[in-house]
Amino acid sequence: MKSLTLEHASFWYPATEAPALRDVSLEVAQGEIVALVGALGAGASTLLLVAADLAPRVTGGRLTGAVARRDRSGIVLPVPWTQASGMAFTVWDEVAFGPANLGWPAHEIARQVDRALEQLELVPLASRDPATLSGGELQRVIIAAILAMDPGLLLFDEPATELDAAGAQMVWRLMRRLAGEGKAILLATSALDAVPDVADRVVWLEDGAVRAVGAPDLLADVAVCEAGLGTSVATVWRASGLPGPYPPTVAHAVRRWR
Amino acid sequence: MIPALCFEGVTFSYGAVPALEQLSFSIAPGERVALLGRNGAGKSTVVRLVAGIQQPRDGTVWVGDWDTRDCVPEQLAWRVGSLFQHADQQLFAPTVRDDVSFGPRALGVGVREVERRTDHALEDLDLTAHAAHHPYDLPPALRKLAALAGALALEPALLVLDEPTAGLDRALSARVIRALLERSAGGVALLVVTHDLTFAAEALDRGLVLDRGRLECDEPLAGLLGAGPRLEPLGLSPPPVAALSAALDLPDRPVRAADAARALARVARGKGAP
Repeated sequence: MKSLTLEHASFWYPATEAPALRDVSLEVAQGEIVALVGALGAGASTLLLVAADLAPRVTGGRLTGAVARRDRSGIVLPVPWTQASGMAFTVWDEVAFGPANLGWPAHEIARQVDRALEQLELVPLASRDPATLSGGELQRVIIAAILAMDPGLLLFDEPATELDAAGAQMVWRLMRRLAGEGKAILLATSALDAVPDVADRVVWLEDGAVRAVGAPDLLADVAVCEAGLGTSVATVWRASGLPGPYPPTVAHAVRRWR
Repeated sequence: MIPALCFEGVTFSYGAVPALEQLSFSIAPGERVALLGRNGAGKSTVVRLVAGIQQPRDGTVWVGDWDTRDCVPEQLAWRVGSLFQHADQQLFAPTVRDDVSFGPRALGVGVREVERRTDHALEDLDLTAHAAHHPYDLPPALRKLAALAGALALEPALLVLDEPTAGLDRALSARVIRALLERSAGGVALLVVTHDLTFAAEALDRGLVLDRGRLECDEPLAGLLGAGPRLEPLGLSPPPVAALSAALDLPDRPVRAADAARALARVARGKGAP
């Protein structure tokens, strides 16, 4: 079942002539994780805003083509402190802010908040003031606050930037689990080395348009490596002058090397 | 030679919550040092102590021959350029250029010198084309570079940077690496807090690892990043290039991409290409 469908979607920010998205067609199915990769300005963040129904509704600008959402969406923005409500004095209340605004009954809010705090390993921080958290802790709080609204379509813009190695691993594992529960996940990330273990499909965006779509080993493709978007392992392999196809991960490299 | 930065038995706590315990290390001019460790290890506290925003409870933080207790942050800006974790919060001027030039203007250096430093910093990070833009019209990754340019424009003896590559793609990280190597070659000492070990391997030489406020490691980064089993208890995981070198048993276990590519090519020639 498709959770999100874009058909020939183009988008212009207000007062700009060049579109930020050009004729993008893309589907994300329930239970699927799709990773958007691209250089700065390729359109990944814009695509997420369109998918979240924030562009043009909140940003202004103009959208052409069709966008269909089957599920309610939730988006995690790239800079966590910009997404905190600023109206909650505990982590628990911050995570409850979204569900409370959906008008759910109190017992359902509590159930969703407790579940989201557990999922992000935040239970020990539940009574902390969000303003006192480290960047990595706040990033997990924001992700929990989105999950607590139980959206069927999850949109993540650089969700691991503030996290340490263990925190990033936890978030990637959680995404796989959420996909296993049937969530549709669309993810923009520059953490290219994590993508092969996380995503089912990769969409390469260039200058607002879809340049290629493929399995995660797309990140070991010659053209992708030339564009600077290959995984570290593929990039080293290519730089060594060894013939393709390049291995995307260490595990692939070990198999090739034998 | 006087170190660019010296922590002498520094202890710090936030109220009753201890952050640093008896921390001692020093950094020489031109040294490139990574400050590593898991979330909450005390890394950002070190940055705030060096910038003079916090004072040690015990011990002394020396910036050159200045005790930070005797200095307000504006004075320290003569010697320290800082990039804080949420770089967005460092930007406030109506254009990128105004923001980057704020530091040298506040130091009171001459107009021409302000221009020169600002131009140099913007060029180093390829931001010249964005100089007239409002910082908040830029994507978050470029805002981070703008904040970093502001630290570079102080032309300090010491740069203390908190996660300079978080959210940056490889091309933007490469700009940061290039700018930092250039400054360090000119004698600037670097202390860089980072979770991005790929960046650390490429740009930095020495690794300090904090764990619950204590210094657990102080050694060359190449050896540390290649030592897989030792990393995990410290909350670190080896960057892919180091993991590749270890998995393929490449000679000298290189951790930088270019070194690994050369080693791979050499070994492949020896064993007759895979």
